[in-house]
Amino acid sequence: MHSILAVFRRELALYFRSPVAYAIAFALLLFLGVLFNGFIAQANAALSFGSGIPADAGFAPNLLTFLMFLIAPLLTMRLLAEESREGTLEVLMTLPMHESSFIIGKFLAAWAYYSALLLLSLVFYVLQSFIGVPDAGVALSAYGGAWLYGGAVLAITLIWSAVTEDQIVAAFLGSATILVLYLAEIAAIWIAGQGSSSLLADFVRELGLQAHFSVTLAQGIVRAEDVVYFICVIIGALFITTRLVETRRWRA
Amino acid sequence: MIEVENLSKRYGEVSAIRDVSFQARPGQVTGFLGPNGAGKTTTMRILTGFMPPTSGRAIVAGHDVFTDSMEVRRRVGYLPENVPLYRDMTAIGYLKFIADIRGLRDGRRRARDVLERVDLVHRADSRIRTLSKGMRQRVGVAQALIHDPEVLILDEPTIGLDPFQVLELRDLVRVLGRDHTVLFSTHILSEAEQICDQVVIIDRGEIMAQGSPQALRSELESGRPVVLRVDAPLDEARALVSALPGVDRAEISADGITAMPADPQTDPRPAIARAVLERGWALNELRSVAVTLEDIFLEVAGSRASPEEPPADGETPAETPEEDEVRHA
Repeated sequence: MHSILAVFRRELALYFRSPVAYAIAFALLLFLGVLFNGFIAQANAALSFGSGIPADAGFAPNLLTFLMFLIAPLLTMRLLAEESREGTLEVLMTLPMHESSFIIGKFLAAWAYYSALLLLSLVFYVLQSFIGVPDAGVALSAYGGAWLYGGAVLAITLIWSAVTEDQIVAAFLGSATILVLYLAEIAAIWIAGQGSSSLLADFVRELGLQAHFSVTLAQGIVRAEDVVYFICVIIGALFITTRLVETRRWRA
Repeated sequence: MIEVENLSKRYGEVSAIRDVSFQARPGQVTGFLGPNGAGKTTTMRILTGFMPPTSGRAIVAGHDVFTDSMEVRRRVGYLPENVPLYRDMTAIGYLKFIADIRGLRDGRRRARDVLERVDLVHRADSRIRTLSKGMRQRVGVAQALIHDPEVLILDEPTIGLDPFQVLELRDLVRVLGRDHTVLFSTHILSEAEQICDQVVIIDRGEIMAQGSPQALRSELESGRPVVLRVDAPLDEARALVSALPGVDRAEISADGITAMPADPQTDPRPAIARAVLERGWALNELRSVAVTLEDIFLEVAGSRASPEEPPADGETPAETPEEDEVRHA
């Protein structure tokens, strides 16, 4: 436990010292801000037509989860690839702690930083509440869902950081993996269109990230299966990462 | 205490070490000596629990490295080759981090203590990337010392240091050897000779000799040629010396006259001295050709090299098809 905490503290401090983390936060807020401008224009138009003001509480969580295919690899690519390239992994692996301790510590640090990003994006919810009445329940579900979603995506991209010593390769492969999982919905629709069994299409859809977020949690529909899905992905990915790092003992 | 029994490590077809057995006792510095690629790092990585052996047993600080790895890691301080450190942390921050992972309660105090031991308190708050190579090496040693381990394993700690830093580090290792079991690897023979109580020589994955540097030297000094310089015509002197019963043959060499003892067990020097003085010549110099660890090393490595040749030849045909493949490709 103390080892997890020590690794977590070091990595988190590193995020808040690194320019990349601030660049990500800046770019994210800028991007969300620009899109929010469009959202305001839409609200204005709706007002002049006399219809109700759209108050999509899932505005920021939806966009943030979409952007995770870019953000997550940038946050996790360094975590293990750098350790193995610099040789510091050898020190960690001869300290009295299990591999899973430092992997969990590093993952939690990345997740904590992501949580900070998510909290920053709450500003748009606050702004929305000035011009309309966004549904607080939907917001809670959407933000909570985005939090779990982010954890799952970070855990998946962390696997690639354990696979390769090259950060760029890790980031690229991580990004590709997340994009594929994000677009699983499209693949499912295509499979269904081929007229083959709908079972396969359902399976592919359920495997993807969007099926468990954009149509459920982001809309305020909290289903146990979605929460379980994200938690299983996190645990599964961390398990794979641990195993990959363990194999270094035999390969070294 | 380190006890290694028949330790072997294979990577597929290649064996990095074969049947390595040795002991390192507490209160001693044991030098692990061998050329690059001899298997020093592999052995040390097994002893620190970084990787498992293919076969054999190693007991470090009373625990088996394979079955009881965590207990071993708690009791061992390890400085890997190339001293990997987090360059973005301060020296004290890094040591505190290691102490926290190890679950030591008074981490900050310990970090300060070990920095004092390696004489680096004045740079405690500097980022590691701004430290000189020698200072980083000392941060690495401090890291290995932070939990006051029974056993210290240092992989080539003097590599890449300037001569002054090398001396400092050797002093530090010598001091640490007084109350720890220190295993220290190097490919510099004179270094092992200076600071080690015991030397283990390894080459191509096998232990070739072990013992105190003095014992290794006296073992080899017997049967070594004797060189003498006398104030007399060289021919006459050579004839006199070669006629002595304890001398096999004598030749004129650049140094003077080199005599080979007839029996490796008896030193011919007293007989030579007596004979020369009886003739009334002045004896300017009479010495056994000095043996350094360098000679010992070359000797053991050389004696192994000749029987090794047939298998080396055997490898050549195996390489040829590969070359052919390359050519075809």
